[in-house]
Amino acid sequence: MKPLRPTADAAALPSVTFGQRSMMWWGTLGFMTIEGWTIALLVAAYLYLRQNYVAWPPLRTPNPSLLIPTINLALMLVSIVPVWITARAAARLDTAAVKRWLVLTCIIELPILVLRWWELWALNTRWDTTAYGSAAWTIVGFHTSLLLFDVLDTYGLTLFYFLRRQPVKTFSDTADNSFYWYFTIGIWIPIYLIVYVGPRIA
Amino acid sequence: MTPDRADRADGAPLPVVLTLSESELAGDAAALDAAWRDRPGLWGWLTAVDHKSIGRRYIITAFLMFLAGGIEAALMRAQLARPENTLLGPDRYNQIFTTHGTTMMFLFAVPMMTAMGLYFVPLMVGARTVAFPRLNAFGYWTYVVGVVFLYVSLFANTGPDAGWFAYVPLSGPQYSPGHRVDVWAQVVTFTEIAALCAAVNVIVTVFKMRAPGMSLNRIPLFVWAQLVVAFMIVFAMPAVATGSTLMLATDRAVNMHWFNPAEGGDALLWQHMFWFFGHPEVYIIFLPALGMITPIVETFCRRPVFGYTAIVMANITTAFFAFGLWVHHMFATPIPELGESLFTAASMVIAIPTGVQIFCWIATMWLGRARLTVPMLFVLGFIFTFVNGGITGVMLASVAFDKQAHDTFFVVAHLHYVLLGGGVMPLFGAFYFWFPKVTGRILNATLGKVHFWLFLIGVNVTFFPMHILGLEGMPRRVYTYLAPTGWGPLNLVASIGAVTIALSVLVFLINAIRSWTHGEPAGENPWDSSGLEWAVPSPPPSYNFLHSPVVRSRHPLWDTDVELPVVTGLRTDRKEVLITSTFDAMPDSRHSSPEPSIWPAYLALCMGVVFIGSIFSPYYVLGGLGLSMIGLFGWGWQSSKRIESELVAVPNGAMVERA
Amino acid sequence: MHSIFAPVSPQAIAVTHLWWWMFGVGAFIWVLVTVLALWAVRARSGAREVDALMHVAPAAHHRAERVVSGSIFVTVLILAGFLAYDFSVGRALATHPAQALTIQVTGHQWWWDAIYEDSNPSKQVETANEIHVPVGEPVQLKLVAADVIHSFWAPNLNGKRDLIPGYASTLWFRADTAGIYRGQCAEFCGLQHAKMAFYIIAEPRAKFMAWLAAASTPPAPPTDSGLMAGRRVFMSSGCALCHTIGGTDARATIGPGLTHFKSRATLAAGTLANTRANLTRWIRDPNAIKPGVHMPAIPLSDAQLNSLVSYLETLK
Repeated sequence: MKPLRPTADAAALPSVTFGQRSMMWWGTLGFMTIEGWTIALLVAAYLYLRQNYVAWPPLRTPNPSLLIPTINLALMLVSIVPVWITARAAARLDTAAVKRWLVLTCIIELPILVLRWWELWALNTRWDTTAYGSAAWTIVGFHTSLLLFDVLDTYGLTLFYFLRRQPVKTFSDTADNSFYWYFTIGIWIPIYLIVYVGPRIA
Repeated sequence: MTPDRADRADGAPLPVVLTLSESELAGDAAALDAAWRDRPGLWGWLTAVDHKSIGRRYIITAFLMFLAGGIEAALMRAQLARPENTLLGPDRYNQIFTTHGTTMMFLFAVPMMTAMGLYFVPLMVGARTVAFPRLNAFGYWTYVVGVVFLYVSLFANTGPDAGWFAYVPLSGPQYSPGHRVDVWAQVVTFTEIAALCAAVNVIVTVFKMRAPGMSLNRIPLFVWAQLVVAFMIVFAMPAVATGSTLMLATDRAVNMHWFNPAEGGDALLWQHMFWFFGHPEVYIIFLPALGMITPIVETFCRRPVFGYTAIVMANITTAFFAFGLWVHHMFATPIPELGESLFTAASMVIAIPTGVQIFCWIATMWLGRARLTVPMLFVLGFIFTFVNGGITGVMLASVAFDKQAHDTFFVVAHLHYVLLGGGVMPLFGAFYFWFPKVTGRILNATLGKVHFWLFLIGVNVTFFPMHILGLEGMPRRVYTYLAPTGWGPLNLVASIGAVTIALSVLVFLINAIRSWTHGEPAGENPWDSSGLEWAVPSPPPSYNFLHSPVVRSRHPLWDTDVELPVVTGLRTDRKEVLITSTFDAMPDSRHSSPEPSIWPAYLALCMGVVFIGSIFSPYYVLGGLGLSMIGLFGWGWQSSKRIESELVAVPNGAMVERA
Repeated sequence: MHSIFAPVSPQAIAVTHLWWWMFGVGAFIWVLVTVLALWAVRARSGAREVDALMHVAPAAHHRAERVVSGSIFVTVLILAGFLAYDFSVGRALATHPAQALTIQVTGHQWWWDAIYEDSNPSKQVETANEIHVPVGEPVQLKLVAADVIHSFWAPNLNGKRDLIPGYASTLWFRADTAGIYRGQCAEFCGLQHAKMAFYIIAEPRAKFMAWLAAASTPPAPPTDSGLMAGRRVFMSSGCALCHTIGGTDARATIGPGLTHFKSRATLAAGTLANTRANLTRWIRDPNAIKPGVHMPAIPLSDAQLNSLVSYLETLK
């Protein structure tokens, strides 16, 4: 073994970082890519199946309703505000503000998840009637699993803040949680347009 | 590019420590080991997060799967040795050939290649561990759930029987009632999850944990291959996961109609989903194997590889083109002819980057002086066997010829030449090369040569005749054939070849087991190789590197300086890793690495309940998800343990110290 | 009789030529690369003096660069050649004849149904597993699947084509030499994928027309009492639930049509020679011959079986 020659001391480096400097951010980005790509593949399959139909939605299948999905979309867009403020508070290492805004985030995220149930039925078809129904249900269903996971993450995080004093690193995780929420909402917009609005303009 | 002193990414120079006494170094080792070691005993085994423990287990499990798949292959060859043999009926034969394909592709080849990465990438980039050690353990346990599930099902006569490609409608609810295909769909899901976890881990490890100074143009080629393949996994695996879990399984379980033409579904959609994954899959197996060849050739020719940049570019181009060929598995289906031509062209073009790599290795051998050690023999065996498979691959890219050869034994011959020649040969070479690093002992070279020759002969005797059988009209996936077809003699030859392969693997097994306990001790760097993994003892200590090495060339151990430059100052009392910037690998921060944890294994079991249970009742899904809540909470709770004082780099650029 | 090496149609001949070219060039490259690698290893390993690590003379490096880039260039040229040749063959194969005898072939688990199209539906001829075609005339096959995916492949005549539920596809060929050509399902289709063969019988036009004429007239009903008993067994024991015999009440299409059953040379999709002994064996227990086959074993007394077989033997 060659003798070691010290060239630099890492003790002066930070032990908590945010965003691109943190590994968790990259890990989150990795899973976002996987999930986003899965949705892209599902949407591609949905459009592929569309070629098998003369009418879209298929004959005797009503258009998806727009009321609940639009309300929920609005709610999702609004939810970005507290989520964003939470991330800012986390970046300032401001425990009180983070707690406050996390609670608000929890309050606004819950109805989104609840409305999702009616949003599924707003497709106005069942998964087992036609391939169209299967595709629409699967896309919305898969997104629901992301939504559910994200909401659970937020709730868990909030709980942690109240259960015990969190290490500084949790602030960075909180910012990443916000980052993931932007993705979950961002990817919903094309789904909303393709699955709910699309059949009307086709 | 990198100065003697490793500078921080934000430009501020680090304070330089000038001297470090022997005692300080020794003291570090004991403390580090105490901090990094997994716990002892069964509990310690279940909670292990060391990337080497997990990697070693992964490699051994995947090798056991290679043996299982091999036994299945032997059974098939026994059945086909003569016409109208009655050793296996069609029902059993179909389960066995499906399980053989599923095992070899999903449970051996991909996990083996990712496992090699999870073991070696941190060592090669000079890191203490992988980016997400618990995710790593979770991936492994998920894979184990898949392995156990498949084999328990097979022995319960519920082995999947619709082929490893599970074409609908044969695999659909109408033509495959019962649970056999469900088993297949869920086994695929488990291995997809495992592969995706490994991919994210490798990507982030390579992006953020490279040794200071290891800029992009100094990354070892094996690591490059792993990185490229990790990206391929991210884009390929979701396709089959979507196809199997979100489409096939839902068609079967809750009467969806993805593939039911009567309700607007489409049988070809499955083929698109499957092959969009299935073709990149070949390169997911093949590129890491090529990455193993480079260090072997470099070491035994004692020359840096010829054309480093060309090889990196070849890897990246291959990855891109790999996603543009899937339709060449579907030339016999009614798809538009123009599309076919594009896929033909792409399938031929992809031969070029592979050719580039082979020419570069030949040039390296030519420029250096090769020592014909066992790993080098396997490299030569690779060239001989793989080039054949590559050439038949180019032939199959031709639509006209493919319509004759498709789904015949010609393709069986082709794919085994590619996968055994291009995947398993380099892998065996890599085993001989890195076995000393993992176990501290060298594999016996004489037995190694016997292994090599038997394997080379066995592969060629088994698979060469299959080319002819295919052209003489023998389709794939037949459990028997009639005597008047005249396919008997060549099938018998192939079966004799299979016995030879089995013998060669037996020789390897004996060698591995003997050498693990009685082999010649290896020392740190038995081959005088150049990579960072050879800078640490064999087997590597729990913390890998005493201090983070600083890299100033592609061949750190071949640099002429007498000393190895290092970065000091990472904590020794708890697990801490050095994070560097993504492109230039400048020191950027320190991160704590998680303690051993039971939650990965627990969560993998919960996933087992969810996915296996989904076959029987949605209540299992809900129950499994409920149970996994506990695991997620425990996982997060463990991460949020307070540590005394932290230096925080807040996003506005300031540095704050927080208790 | 079942091989790409004895092509008898223009399509198969073109592909076999392409194959021999690719084989020749490919074998040459295989040998060349192997020799090159062995030579590269041997060339320098003879000199056993201590090797100066990492040192590569610039001249040698340049030479290597030239050799490697030259090899890549040659690779590209060869691939371009293959591509051009393949496209020209592909184009030739893509031309369809203006007029052709059209046969609809349906793949079933595990047998083939063939219907000779005719503008007059009553003159349509239906047969199974053995397809008669005239020599030297284009034949167009319309391919559909009844259950799962199958693939129609007669290597001496043309490449394979998948039969996919929900899709219609076509395949055409022209058999230029009279003969009997074997084919077999090429896409895995379940338990009896291995025993799903068919024959294409290419015969001179006159002979073909005679066959077609015979095939479009149902056989005369039996007058012999033993044969009539056999026919009763057929009608009453369940056979008629799946099979058609022209001119009788048996019109089911689940199994192969048996109207001119005895005119076929083989049984059970090319599995057995169509002899009395084999037929008896087959009806007694189809599963013993094709495990998993959808045809059930119907319990019949020896006398019933005997008369049934005698009756079927008359369906010429």
